[in-house]
Parts: sequence; C-alpha cells; structure tokens
Amino acid sequence: MGTETTGSTVDELERAPLAADPDVVLADLAGMLRELLEEYGLDDAEITRATTFHDDLELESVDLVSLSGTMREHYGDRVNFAAFIADLELDEIIALTVGQLVDHVVASLRATERG
Amino acid sequence: MSRFLFVVPPLVGHINPLLGVAEELAGRGHEVAWAGYPEQITRLAGDEATVFGCDMPDGGLVRPPQLAGPAAFKFLWEEFFLPLADLMAPGVDAAIDAFGPDVVVTDQHAVAGALVAERRGVPHVTSATTSAELIDPLAGMPKVGAWLQGLLTGLRGRIGDPSATGDPRFSPHAVIAFTGRDLLGGTELPHERTYLVGPAIAPRVDRSDFPWSALDPDRKRVLVSLGTANLDAGTRFLTEAVTALDGLGDRVQGIVVDPGGTLGEVPPGILVRPYVPQLELLTKVDAVVCHGGHNTVCESLWHGVPLVIAPIRDDQPIVAGQVVDAGAGVRVRFTRVDAARLGAAIETVLDPSGGHRAAAESIGRSFRAAGGVVTAADRLVDIAEPASPAARPTDRQCEEPT
Repeated sequence: MGTETTGSTVDELERAPLAADPDVVLADLAGMLRELLEEYGLDDAEITRATTFHDDLELESVDLVSLSGTMREHYGDRVNFAAFIADLELDEIIALTVGQLVDHVVASLRATERG
Repeated sequence: MSRFLFVVPPLVGHINPLLGVAEELAGRGHEVAWAGYPEQITRLAGDEATVFGCDMPDGGLVRPPQLAGPAAFKFLWEEFFLPLADLMAPGVDAAIDAFGPDVVVTDQHAVAGALVAERRGVPHVTSATTSAELIDPLAGMPKVGAWLQGLLTGLRGRIGDPSATGDPRFSPHAVIAFTGRDLLGGTELPHERTYLVGPAIAPRVDRSDFPWSALDPDRKRVLVSLGTANLDAGTRFLTEAVTALDGLGDRVQGIVVDPGGTLGEVPPGILVRPYVPQLELLTKVDAVVCHGGHNTVCESLWHGVPLVIAPIRDDQPIVAGQVVDAGAGVRVRFTRVDAARLGAAIETVLDPSGGHRAAAESIGRSFRAAGGVVTAADRLVDIAEPASPAARPTDRQCEEPT
C-alpha cells in the first residue's frame, strides 16, 4: 500500500498552494480516483495520463458525481468539472482519459492565476 | 369496450410488466393484442394471446460482456433500439390496420410503437419499465442528449410523422411507469400525465420444477439472480457469489440462478437452478443479490426483501443508486467484487439493525398502495374511453400547461 493516497494527505494538499503543474495535478487526481475506487477493491490501480475513465477504471456516472464533489472540495470554483463533462460528445466521454482531465484542470487553474 | 395494442421489444423484462395489465384489461372485457416477437410473446402471455409479428434483429440484443457505461449506451441506441424501430415499424402499421386499436401502448424502448401510432393518429401511451429513464440521466451531458434526439428525429423522418415534435420515449397522452415514488426519490417527472403505478406483480407460469422442499427453514435464504439478459457476463460474479454463500453456509442458504449453466460443482447446501419461479420464491427469501434490473429490484422490494446490487450497465447503475438512496440495499461493483466483499454485503442487508429490511418493507407497502396492474388498466381505459369527447387526448395539445 502506498502512502500518498490517504485522506489526510488530501487534506494537507487542500491547504497547500494549488500549483498549475501537470504532474502535481495528475498526482492529485490520481489520489482522488484511488480514494473513490478503494471501496470497490480497486485501490492498487495504476493511474496515468493514458488511463481511461470507463474501460480502465470502469467508473460509472455516480462515480463521476463523487469525483466532481471531491474536485470541488479541492479546487473550489477554479475548476468546473460539470462544465467540462457537459462540453463532451458521447464518443469523447467514452474515450475520456485522466490526461484530458489533467489538462482541463491545469488550464482552469492557469486561467484563474492570470485572472 | 376498447381495443389496446401493446407494442414491445424482444426483451423479457419489458414484456413482463405488461402481461398483468393485458390480463386485467381482458378481465374487464377489453381486447388486447400484441405487436412484437411472436414466439416470445406467446411463450410469456400464453398461446391464446393475439400477436402481430414484427421483424426483429437477428439474435436479439447481444453485446460483449465488457461493454458498459457510455459505450453500452451508444451501442444500445445506435445498434439496437434504432434498428429495432425501423424493423418493427411495418409490423406495427399492419397491426394497427388489422386490429384497429383505440390506444397503442408502447414500451418506452420500442420506439416504433410511438412513432407509427403518432403518424396514424392513434393515441399512444408509454410503458416505462425502468425508473432510470424517468429521471433524464443525460441532463448533465447536453451533447449526448442532442445526439440521441438527432437519432430519434431521423427515425421519425423514416417511420413516423416528420412534422411531429416531442420525445417519443414520453407520450404526451400518458406515461405509465411500473415503479414508485419511494424508489424515485424527489425526482421531477417528465410531465403531469406520468403515472407511477408501482411494479406489475402478476403470477407467471411456473415451468421451473423448483424443489421447494429443499429450502432450509433454519437458515436465512438468499437468492442470487442476474436476470434474463446477462447470460454472458455473469460467470465470474456467480462464482464469487457461490464462494461467499459457502462462507456464510452455517446461517445462510444460497439459491443461485444460473441460466447459462456456467457454474460447475458447487458446495453442498447451495441450490443452483437454471430458472426459478421468482415471484413465489421472493415470498420465502431474506435477501436478493442481483444486477439491478428494474423488475427484479421492484419485485424484491414489493415483497419487502432488501438487496445487494451489482449493476452491470444501462439503467442498472441508476436503479442501484435509487435503492441505496432509499436505504433498502447496498451496492457492490459487478466486475470487481470478491467473495469476501460480497459476503460482507449480504450480511449487511441481512442484519436487521442496518434498517435495510425495514426500508424495503416500507417501499413494498407504497408499491402495493400504487395499485400496479389495476391502476395501469384504469389509466388506459381513461384514455381509451374519455368521459366526454372534448377530453379525448388526441384533441388537445397535451404539451401545453393546463
């Protein structure tokens, strides 16, 4: 079991400055996803940019709602996950990767930094 | 007396709820005919049923086991429901010609029934056999909703009235949904003519030869069933379920439905059957483990039986979420759950202190109060035989607020 995915670490990250660094965002999102998947017995999943939400992680819509809530706790209003999903075509949703969400988060954080 | 044409897809779960409604209407002296897959309808409704055959896709609904989530949704509409409607439309037209129905009752997913009836000027009523398609699961995905509406509009151009509007899955005349408010939660309904009649519980023909004497009165009894549409996908899950039940064997008797015969030898004390008389069995079990098919879920709740749900795809994750939110069951992951987690989930719903049984019984009482097939028949007769001509649904714009 790794040490980087416990709830307390997420809390610590929450208080840390939010970097718009893709590697940091990937690590953050991977932590959130592992926490989400843990209850289903998928706590050891390798999560990379290429990991797909549906084929690899087998996430369901209810999981996306949970993820949306966790992301809101972490990023606040700077990242709008619902708007990101709402802008996707069906085929894009089917093939959605963690990397695409990382890019969306990074772009959103940079936009608020600039603003 | 009125004539009702029931238009159904070749899916048992979509036909079953209407069997009791057909019987109820016939008992009141009305005439009912079916349009669909004749062999299947006759097998379910009996040889005396009047059936107009429709062309059907070869092999029915066959999907790779791992197809789930949005990919399954795409396949279901693009590769099954839409081609099904194109194939069924001529048969529905012919049935309307031959039978002259006052009302067409069309399954929500046999879209040909709605679109052909609309073109022919016959009032049609939607039969919704799942609570999942009442809640607009696509609300957060407007481009996906637009994709589906595009498919349906194209279909309407081919088999319906191209000048008509509205979503053919929700008849403006009435939507009869075989579910209940206690399961739906606070969800807003499609429109005011949506009738939540509860599950249609009607005796079905028992061809199962079930060994009733093998049921153990000294143990809790747990039924495991993945329904009628998932033969290919369930072997791993059923195997884990058998191991879980064996682990609980001193206090739990497992009854496992294995229609595909995929389980080999099982430990003693566990009953494995290719088919079971589910309704009768539900009066004798303490928990149900299933995939979240709406019929099995509602039949279990109707009998006050709590659930462990492992949704596979389609409406099942939504139904599972509704059961969990209502406190009547727990959810496990179909592709991931192991015997240990499944055993723990079974123990959770069997434990009276968890309140799952009490919640299931409460939903069951509300389902019984909703009236089921009797209420469904009442609403259908209302539409076929309005009190005054002015009230006839075809004569007014139902979309307009009244």
